[in-house]
Amino acid sequence: MQRTGFLFLAPYAVSFAIFVILPIVVSFVLSFMRFDLTAQSSAGFVGFDNYREALQDNYFWSAVKATLLFALMIVPGLLVIGLSMALGMNAMARGQAAVRALVFLPGMLNIAVTGILWQWFFNGEFGLFNFALKHFGGQGQPWLSDKAFAMPSIVLMSVWWTVGGTAIILLTALQQIPGMYFEAAALDGASTTRMFRYITLPLLKPVMSFVVVTTSIAGFQMFGQAFMLTRGGPELSTRGVAQYIYETAFNSYRMGYGAAMSWLLFALISVFGIFQIRMMRRPA
Amino acid sequence: MSIFSNLGIRGSILGLAAIVTGIGVTRSCDGGGIVTSQHRVDLTFWNGFTGPDGRRMLEIIRDFNRENPDIQVSMQRMDWATYYNKLMVAAMDQRGPQLFVVHASTLPRMYRSGFIENSARLYSGSDPIPSADYDPYVLQQVKFKDQYAGVPLDIHPQGMYTNAEMLRAAGIQQPPADKASFMRALRLLTKKSNSGDASQWAFALTLWRNNFQSLIPQFRGRYLKPNGDADLNNPGNIAALQFLGDLSREKLIPPPENGLGWVGYRQKKVAMVWDGVYMLGDLLRLQGLDYVAAPIPQIGPQPGTMADSHVLCIRKGLSEAQRTGAETFIRYLSKNSIRWAAAGQVPARRSVRQTPEFASMPVQSAFARQIPFMMYPPRTPVLFEVTLEIDQAVEKVIRGNADAKTALDLANVNAQRGIDRDRAEQKIAPAGGIQP
Amino acid sequence: MNRSVWKTINGIFMRCVAALMILPLFLMLLTSMKPEAEVLNPENVVPRVWTLSNYQQILGWAEEAPFGRWFSNSVFISSAVTLGVIVFSAMGAFAIKRLRVPGGRQFLGLIIGSMMVPGQLFLVPLYLILSKLHWLDTPAALIVPATAGGFGIYMLSQFMEDMPPAIEEAALIDGCSPAQMFLHQTLPLCAPAISTLAVFTFIGSWNDFMGPLVFMDSVRNYTLPVGIALYQTSYYTEYGLTLATSVLAVTPLLVIFALFQRQIVSSMAASGLKD
Repeated sequence: MQRTGFLFLAPYAVSFAIFVILPIVVSFVLSFMRFDLTAQSSAGFVGFDNYREALQDNYFWSAVKATLLFALMIVPGLLVIGLSMALGMNAMARGQAAVRALVFLPGMLNIAVTGILWQWFFNGEFGLFNFALKHFGGQGQPWLSDKAFAMPSIVLMSVWWTVGGTAIILLTALQQIPGMYFEAAALDGASTTRMFRYITLPLLKPVMSFVVVTTSIAGFQMFGQAFMLTRGGPELSTRGVAQYIYETAFNSYRMGYGAAMSWLLFALISVFGIFQIRMMRRPA
Repeated sequence: MSIFSNLGIRGSILGLAAIVTGIGVTRSCDGGGIVTSQHRVDLTFWNGFTGPDGRRMLEIIRDFNRENPDIQVSMQRMDWATYYNKLMVAAMDQRGPQLFVVHASTLPRMYRSGFIENSARLYSGSDPIPSADYDPYVLQQVKFKDQYAGVPLDIHPQGMYTNAEMLRAAGIQQPPADKASFMRALRLLTKKSNSGDASQWAFALTLWRNNFQSLIPQFRGRYLKPNGDADLNNPGNIAALQFLGDLSREKLIPPPENGLGWVGYRQKKVAMVWDGVYMLGDLLRLQGLDYVAAPIPQIGPQPGTMADSHVLCIRKGLSEAQRTGAETFIRYLSKNSIRWAAAGQVPARRSVRQTPEFASMPVQSAFARQIPFMMYPPRTPVLFEVTLEIDQAVEKVIRGNADAKTALDLANVNAQRGIDRDRAEQKIAPAGGIQP
Repeated sequence: MNRSVWKTINGIFMRCVAALMILPLFLMLLTSMKPEAEVLNPENVVPRVWTLSNYQQILGWAEEAPFGRWFSNSVFISSAVTLGVIVFSAMGAFAIKRLRVPGGRQFLGLIIGSMMVPGQLFLVPLYLILSKLHWLDTPAALIVPATAGGFGIYMLSQFMEDMPPAIEEAALIDGCSPAQMFLHQTLPLCAPAISTLAVFTFIGSWNDFMGPLVFMDSVRNYTLPVGIALYQTSYYTEYGLTLATSVLAVTPLLVIFALFQRQIVSSMAASGLKD
């Protein structure tokens, strides 16, 4: 029985060992090495040099800043807009299923299509947004070419792309709240706002914490959005850690340094993840 | 849901397996099933010509394949940035194309990696490509000690595109050629509308870094010292960048966050831009734009512009048949480079530039006049890092966040750090570097 | 305000929101039918001149963009990944939850832990491993590593945990072998979870961008998303062409979405309910 059990587990376990565990080990070893893909003869161990270099590297810190900025905008953005959409859908008498499907649809697109589409929307000269603004007598805005606009523009696209999933998760949680809570509160003469504050929000808390944790993990790994829209500009203000790692590995061919920065990113994600879970678990 | 429940889960999985095996089997058949003549050589040719220029290249290759039935070249193109990542890693892995294009400026890094074949054979032997047909400066870019990394196909300098209609309307008959006439044109052609934002601009920057690089030779600037150290903050570079910074500060060009650039020129909102000769490919598709090309006006003490070349290279480790086939193809492209020139390029070979056909290409000819004064990007294996630093400095100055000296001082420190690191890792002495 | 009036307003508003969400896709379709000159000088949202020239150009010249080949690559790779993930994950989850192999719980913990590791970290090591295996630029590079994903086995384990143990006991008493049990009982019972996993895996694989970008070299081995990105150039983008290719790349997904809409949306919803 147990032998059969291991036989059943074997295909997945082998694949997992080769393509998950082994890369993690390789990456860990690489992070202590100098390893230039194009000059492999010069490879060798350098101890903590890569980590030390990263902590002193201004570009690394500006990438961390961009990553944090993105996460700090996208997480509340998704939570607030997603919750509003969920509340709106929940209150619908008819047509909820169709709205639910349409709202989720953008999430089906890949980042290449999404990026191409929004790059065209944001284009300063012939883009849709400035076309519409000028049409109604406004002025065109530098959506992607100004430091103050670029990151919010990327966040805007990301919200469109992913808010559907968040809204649907929250909607489902809303529908799980037993109706009698609200009926009882209504009998006591509670206002809608008070019901929202004292019934809906506390009961949604576990799901909201799930949303916050998953969207921040995704946010910290932001790569494709900025890569497609701004390539990290203007003045590197939107180049996140993930993009810097990619460029280090595949433009500068410094695999060791790239690996070290990946582990620092992992550390950053873990610290925030643990912090968020602690915060959310605290009784209100 | 319905599909799954009707078939049952096991049926669905079997169906999926059938699809996979089906496509898999067809795949393996069509791979092995093609009857290839034993004498035919198949070559893949990679490049970054993703625009209309790539379509022109495909036409040339189609003709080559027809004229040389024993050699079949198939072309693959990717955006340059992706292309270089892929070329490098694929070639290091003994895969990748037999033939490929590398910018002259990117050669030092690629050549050092050791996957590019020495092309010296092409310049000698039977049916040689005459090396005297190239400008010495251009040929020098592909030479490493006594080896040739490839054959330069073209030269693509930056030049000035003007909108003749707008110039005439402002009473300007000739594209400005010196600083005085350029500055005069800036004032005559820029028209501010009532709302405060100009309805017409005389000049706009396109790729900021490249525009700056075009001014570097004019102010006798340079990128590197003879020993290979960074020299980004020399007085010439500072003066060149200062000029662009002043244009931006005095609002003689569109605000940096709304740089109309090339699109503005296409849309007749900008009268003059500096850009590469390859942008002609875009104009050729456009109707109703009366464009006239000219050299970059002389802003500094001497004329100058930036340029680069597409170099045709062969991968190491090919069979003799493949290598000979690849050489035949390179000879063919080089001889027929007038056809390539039509896509918006200046042929690297002088003899081709002296043909009446080339003289009948006004934009290409105008840009070609700058060949004696052109300057290629720095010849260093850490080009990516140095370029990033120049980019940062130029952005800061154009946006008014730093003066030229401060920005270039910082860029120089950072660039030098990259150069030092590379030397330490490669164990190269400072004076070494890669010398022609 | 009257409650029913309020409800009506909300209904109208939410329909507008939904329309706004898919508006970009309609604009993409409309603009892909404009000639390039009109794309760059928009006067109207609806094309002045309707043209299919962008589509003709993409589909017309196979040397330039082997669109059919990319499409069949995408179908092949996504189907194979889906098959592999289902089979490996279902067998694995069965071993852990129903056959209760020793150390199964710990193994599941390890899998979940590995899901927290950022994707960037895998890129370079995977590249090196695939290079050693000589799998680069072959479909195997995109198919086999994908079967190691943790999501499938985690999800199916959760599902199997909720199944009553009595089922197996009965089967064992009847003298079923584990293999028979797996094929005839567990799989059919897990059908809803497996079909959800299948749809998600298929979409995820179809949309994968990084994998094909880094592991495939030959244009004829590209998948659709990476193929369409070829039209973005460093100097200027031919928007008409790019948008038309995007439309072609998105259409198959929209068909899948139309077929499995209810299931996709409800499994998305369920993903938030655990723990």
